[in-house]
Amino acid sequence: MNFKTKYFLKSKFQEYYKTAEIHIPSRLEAREWGFISFDEMPETVMRRHKSFGSRGEVEEYLAGMAPAHAYHSVAYYTYPSAPTMKEKQWQEADLIFDLDADHIPGAPNSYSEMLDHVKKETLKLYDLLINDFGFNEEDIRAVFSGGRGYHFHISDPRVRSLESAERREIVDYISGRGLNIEKIFYKKAISGDAGSENVRMNMLSPESEGGWGGRINRYLVSYLTDLASKEDAEELFTGFKGIGKKTAQKMIDILRDETQVELLRKGNMEALSKVNKDIIQTLALQAVNDMSASVDEPVTGDIKRLIRLGGSLHGKSGMRVTTLSISELEAFEPLTDAVVFSDKPVKLKVIRPFAVQMKGNDLYVEEGTQELPEYAAVYLMCRGAAEYGS
Amino acid sequence: MDSRYLALYPFVSEASEYVGGLGFSPEKLLSSRALDSARLRGKERVIQSLTGEIEKPSPSGSEEGKILTELLSYPFARILVSCIDDQFLTRKYALAEAKAAYRLLKTQQPEFLQELGLDFQINAETYENMESHDILFDLHFTDYIKLATTLKDLNWKLVNRKMKAGHVRISKEEFARLLQEAIRSRIQNALPLSVPEEISEACTPYLAEINETLEEKKSDFGVGEFQKVESELFPPCIVQAIANVRAGVNLAHSMRFAMTSFLLNIGMTVDEVVAMFNVSPDFDEEKTRYQIQHIAGSSGTTYKPPSCNTMRTYGNCYNPDEICKNTKHPLGYYSRRMWLKNKMEKEKEKKA
Repeated sequence: MNFKTKYFLKSKFQEYYKTAEIHIPSRLEAREWGFISFDEMPETVMRRHKSFGSRGEVEEYLAGMAPAHAYHSVAYYTYPSAPTMKEKQWQEADLIFDLDADHIPGAPNSYSEMLDHVKKETLKLYDLLINDFGFNEEDIRAVFSGGRGYHFHISDPRVRSLESAERREIVDYISGRGLNIEKIFYKKAISGDAGSENVRMNMLSPESEGGWGGRINRYLVSYLTDLASKEDAEELFTGFKGIGKKTAQKMIDILRDETQVELLRKGNMEALSKVNKDIIQTLALQAVNDMSASVDEPVTGDIKRLIRLGGSLHGKSGMRVTTLSISELEAFEPLTDAVVFSDKPVKLKVIRPFAVQMKGNDLYVEEGTQELPEYAAVYLMCRGAAEYGS
Repeated sequence: MDSRYLALYPFVSEASEYVGGLGFSPEKLLSSRALDSARLRGKERVIQSLTGEIEKPSPSGSEEGKILTELLSYPFARILVSCIDDQFLTRKYALAEAKAAYRLLKTQQPEFLQELGLDFQINAETYENMESHDILFDLHFTDYIKLATTLKDLNWKLVNRKMKAGHVRISKEEFARLLQEAIRSRIQNALPLSVPEEISEACTPYLAEINETLEEKKSDFGVGEFQKVESELFPPCIVQAIANVRAGVNLAHSMRFAMTSFLLNIGMTVDEVVAMFNVSPDFDEEKTRYQIQHIAGSSGTTYKPPSCNTMRTYGNCYNPDEICKNTKHPLGYYSRRMWLKNKMEKEKEKKA
């Protein structure tokens, strides 16, 4: 990034910050702030241990300095500007989840597909936070990072005092790590039947049960009844290892019978006792895979972390760090909605060929001098793929 | 709460208020001849915490004098533990008090446990299970994990709980076990008390026996022998990390931290640890030294290596052996091996 490029980007960011709507975190006076400036680039120099007393001070700083990256602490401190963590005196911290394309298995390579992939993950996380953890919609704030993922901020007072290890327990729940499947599928001894004390029934957690047990029940029943309702159901079932024609037909009969399915929902697995245990296990794991969310563990566990400021710009893309409610999240198209710069043509020298999809346009640029809409020019320069001017 | 119960659960706020209201100053607690039995019982509490379990009198039928003795023995025991101010003793003592309370709590009515929970800011609702007629306790998950995270059995993990809308239901016995954790951490975190010198001197006659028992227990346990580094007693995760470093394999950041803090905690110097990393492919002495010094406490915080649970979550638990099964912490593994080794050597000496 040469001097002219830095100067251009800084002035563009400055222009943005003059009118930008910044999402100020709660109790802003208790937060530590950190900024990375364009001036020292390509060196990354974080100026941290800053604190502000009011919204006006934050806005003034942003419009004046136009930093490439702006962060605030997830923590609340007694002395946020003290130079060491110990002197800051940690009080509590928001609960944070980070969903980043880098940490999600099977993420595709193209930027737009990658972002779609991460968004699916955010919806799974949201479901867990609402249904299992019981958070209110108002307590959850989703933020598009301006880069490759989303952050979730939860400021419910009950979670703010949690320590790292406790937060990691929450991550383990969300990712299904350490789940004991044996406890979900178990055998229950039946009493009362004269002469047959040794009868043991195959059980699983009922659908109404909280936690992963109920989730697995709902997944299994819906998955299996869905298969059974298909025309080629027999073929589909015999496709599983160890299921022959006879078992398959029996399963289909059971799964098409609402009374039998109701028993399954209530946790009675006897109807499926002929099915190989491994198949059920595999389906249970599939359920966990399907409903768990891959959140980045160290981020949640770090109770002193700095996180991007909502409404600021991401200096490696020029896109807006966008704060979203859940209904906004569902409809959110990062490559259009987080783009803040204009269509005005800008001349730039492209260093390496680059492809990106922004504002619904497929842009593919070759090396050499080009003219591009401002938003794309800013993006390329921020990525280090172009320099300003001709 | 009835004063008989306060004597059995002397760590609740109501008990300390009650004792405060009786008007016994620490001086009086130490000098009054009438309180001789309370002081002896206080010493006994501490000794029992080291040698086995703290025995509690039965709640019914105790006469008033005995109740007072039991009640006042607790603040005295805390003064004694504070005079010695030894981490091993403090932990053992807090654990023993909490375990003794747990044994009693299991036999109490649900309402009693519920009330005790309130003293620890745990709001638990009770419900009757319609099928089994057992009473279940309903806790907000934040209250649950604050207490359950330290427990090792995987069944305590939140992921294995039936959580619904932020609430977790547990049995009475489980609730009692969580209260044990709350009690332990309350007692442990409040110790040591700051003891004025006169008081500390007046306690001297009670300390000799405790100190003696403490030293005995410590040498059994291999505590305080970390000065001599015994690398053959390291847990498999650390052995693996060292092997990787020596082979020039780059360690994940979290494993590097675990290994470094482990080595520092067992008594290796910053120089010695720096030397171990000297073969890393990206070795940068100055940077390495800076990071190790940071972990060693140059910033004011000394770091302990992560627990086994955390090691597992980060995928740093490697090839756990038999001893790992009963260990929560890599340092615990090391001290246990140390203890076993000392025991074997002692036995050998005896035979020789």
